[in-house]
Amino acid sequence: MNTDPDRSGQAGALTVLTPIKPGAVDDLRGYLEGLRATGSPLARLSRTHFGRWVIVTDFASDGEREPDRLASPYLLFTACFDGTLDSYLDELCEELSAEAPAIWGRCTGVPQPPVGAALKAYLRAHHATTGFFVAAYPEAEVGQVRHALAQREAVIAFARSAQGMDPAQLRAAFLDQLGG
Amino acid sequence: MASAPFDLADLQGDILRAYGNTYACTTYLFFRVDDAGAGRAWLRRLLPRVTTAEPWTAGKPEATLNIAVTAAGVKALGVPEPVIATFSKEFRAGMAARAPTLGDAGPSDPDRWEPELRDGALHVLATVNALDVGALQRELGRLRDDAEHAGGVAVAYEQPTVLLPSPDERGSREHFGYADGFAQPAIAGVEDATDRRIGGGVPEAKGAWRALAPGEFILGYEDEDTRVDPNRKLPNAPADPFGRSGTYMVWRKLYQDVALFRHVLREAAELYESGDHEKLAAKVVGRWPNGTPLVVSPDAPIADFDPKTDARTNAFRYADEDPHGLRCPLGAHIRRSNPRDALGFDGLLSFRHRIIRRGMPYGPPLASEATQDDHVDRGLVFVCFNASISRQFEGIQAQWLNDGNVFHLGHDSDFLMGDPHGTGKMTVEGHPPFLLGPQGPFVTTRGGAYLFVPGMGALAALAG
Amino acid sequence: MAIAEGPSAGPLTATGTDPRNVDGQAICITVFSTVKGWGRLWLPLVFLYARLVPSAHGTLARLSFIHFARWTLVRRLPEQRLRHPHLFFESNFNGGWEEYIDAFSHILTRGMTLFWGSSYGFPTPLPTGRFKDYIKRHEIVASHFYSAYPDATTTIVLSALELDAKLRDFRARTEGMDPDGFARAWDEFVTDVQGCL
Repeated sequence: MNTDPDRSGQAGALTVLTPIKPGAVDDLRGYLEGLRATGSPLARLSRTHFGRWVIVTDFASDGEREPDRLASPYLLFTACFDGTLDSYLDELCEELSAEAPAIWGRCTGVPQPPVGAALKAYLRAHHATTGFFVAAYPEAEVGQVRHALAQREAVIAFARSAQGMDPAQLRAAFLDQLGG
Repeated sequence: MASAPFDLADLQGDILRAYGNTYACTTYLFFRVDDAGAGRAWLRRLLPRVTTAEPWTAGKPEATLNIAVTAAGVKALGVPEPVIATFSKEFRAGMAARAPTLGDAGPSDPDRWEPELRDGALHVLATVNALDVGALQRELGRLRDDAEHAGGVAVAYEQPTVLLPSPDERGSREHFGYADGFAQPAIAGVEDATDRRIGGGVPEAKGAWRALAPGEFILGYEDEDTRVDPNRKLPNAPADPFGRSGTYMVWRKLYQDVALFRHVLREAAELYESGDHEKLAAKVVGRWPNGTPLVVSPDAPIADFDPKTDARTNAFRYADEDPHGLRCPLGAHIRRSNPRDALGFDGLLSFRHRIIRRGMPYGPPLASEATQDDHVDRGLVFVCFNASISRQFEGIQAQWLNDGNVFHLGHDSDFLMGDPHGTGKMTVEGHPPFLLGPQGPFVTTRGGAYLFVPGMGALAALAG
Repeated sequence: MAIAEGPSAGPLTATGTDPRNVDGQAICITVFSTVKGWGRLWLPLVFLYARLVPSAHGTLARLSFIHFARWTLVRRLPEQRLRHPHLFFESNFNGGWEEYIDAFSHILTRGMTLFWGSSYGFPTPLPTGRFKDYIKRHEIVASHFYSAYPDATTTIVLSALELDAKLRDFRARTEGMDPDGFARAWDEFVTDVQGCL
């Protein structure tokens, strides 16, 4: 039985909400939207399955009395990753040291400079614990998934070429292409 | 009233009932409207000849006429912008702009379409179905005369089509040689000679079938979503009067490389069941050439099978009879374009993506055993009707034909439709399976348009 | 006779969602909704039930286009006093936005009511139209979305993982086999994994 709600199998979830400095929203949005063109920095965090940065300008209200209105927009960062939250945060603070000032550096309450152990503590403190987490492949790490995907392509290519081979050819070709 | 029966006098014909099967010749005549006033005057002249959905009391007319308009056409006819804005987004964008969604890339890219068939240049479509060539020419002549008389309206494109002769005189075939034109949705309120619900409706639990709500195809009626809405709001539709008795139409000219298809299948079949290329091709389609469904008869076509009258044409499901695709492959064309209960969850993932298909083959047939291209233009004019182009036609195209994820087939696309890059494959399930490839560019889009078919009242308002 | 409002809003992409929410085949969705007072107690119970009872999320797992899905109750924010808790939902999936919400509406109907029933303004999951409008109003577009394997859909990942395990087993079993035996074993193997190819 899974006791940690932030986990599904070996996969973990991170949810960090940090208030954005007044006047910094547009710059931050522009910066984040520009990341794709130069390649996502999250690619360097090799344990990340999926990650996102979302700017929450305000909550939508539905006629409730006294709706919550955000005093400032918030930056939401989430990730589905492999392994422990603690070690993931270590890796994040290491790999994203170049980008962190432009991202969390634009949030209030963040330590200056936003690096290393201080950043980790800040992110940890602003992590919201998950309620319910479902994963389609909870035991598979990113590396495993990528390897399996490449291998599947190789198996398909081999299986197509194998049609019509005689047994000797088949075995030789298998050992050559998919020998492992 | 929000439910059927239909106001047949307000509905154009050829939507609920196909004309093409009884009418041997169909010509699609596109017009360009250069002057709004002239265009509307021209429509007023045509109006009395437009065929409605009312039953014929004095026998079949020798020719039928139906009218549809593109977004560019609606604008050219002088409809005000705020009204145009109430038509659906994809309709207003036009088919060429939807190329990424439709997978129209490579040779099918709109940049390579026949220049007259990029729908910005097409305004009004007149579909003429005729019993014979004489009747066809008479009605086409009248349409051209009316346009000349009105001035400011010109023919933009003419696409003649004709039913292909069938080897066994039973069903009409398309150019790859397969009987086509049956297997249509069962719509509540439409009477049919055979009970179309079985096979044509929504597959429910315990083998039951249910007819689809009319609003899935005709605007102004409740659809599958609003019929469970306690507030009884009707589905999204353009502003009155267009929202009543209208529908959206997809028109698409698809070139078929028959020689390439035959060549690839014959060559691949050398490694399949001792060269049975007819069976391999049937696996690609999901039916034998005479219309026998593979699910019903996987090893050979049923002799003398008549798809127009035999209930077995359509009265089958997949989940119980053929869950692993050993009879009809999981990626076969008919299984992809109408999965019935194959997606699980009692058909709930497929029931909102049905379309009414019309359309006709164009061009002369390729000689029967030829595997060399003769450089003749032939193929299919694909036509369908639906209340929402994006949910229904585009949904089928993007989620079911151009991709395999929902069927657990990875990125495999519909083998029959072909692949512009020529590298795809299809798994023919079996013990052992057969991996069919390469998937050449068997079908290429030559052009097309998204159109709106107004109800008669709306058409009169448009012409007013 | 009331006709529902005009054409759906939203950009014209093949996926039915903003391009910023897309990375290759992967699509992300982020939804916040305000939770009523009783949800403060109710939702943690729903979460616990969902975690403890595997069959509760069996249907969700069977919907083969979802990589990950997560619900989180946000009770507090730094530097902001919240009067209400907020339900945060995120998912990574493939296919189309419309098809995704349709599936939640038609197939996960009870689940949707359990999770969102305590949010202000939540209509019933059916009819789909109103449910979709609610989700759209509460959805926030991502500024940056990343997938580690953007070309792979969920079913491809699952197929690849299954194939990987079976191939490993096949290699071990057929080590040193003669060609005829190997050819027979290969036929059996490819028959067994044909659903993964």
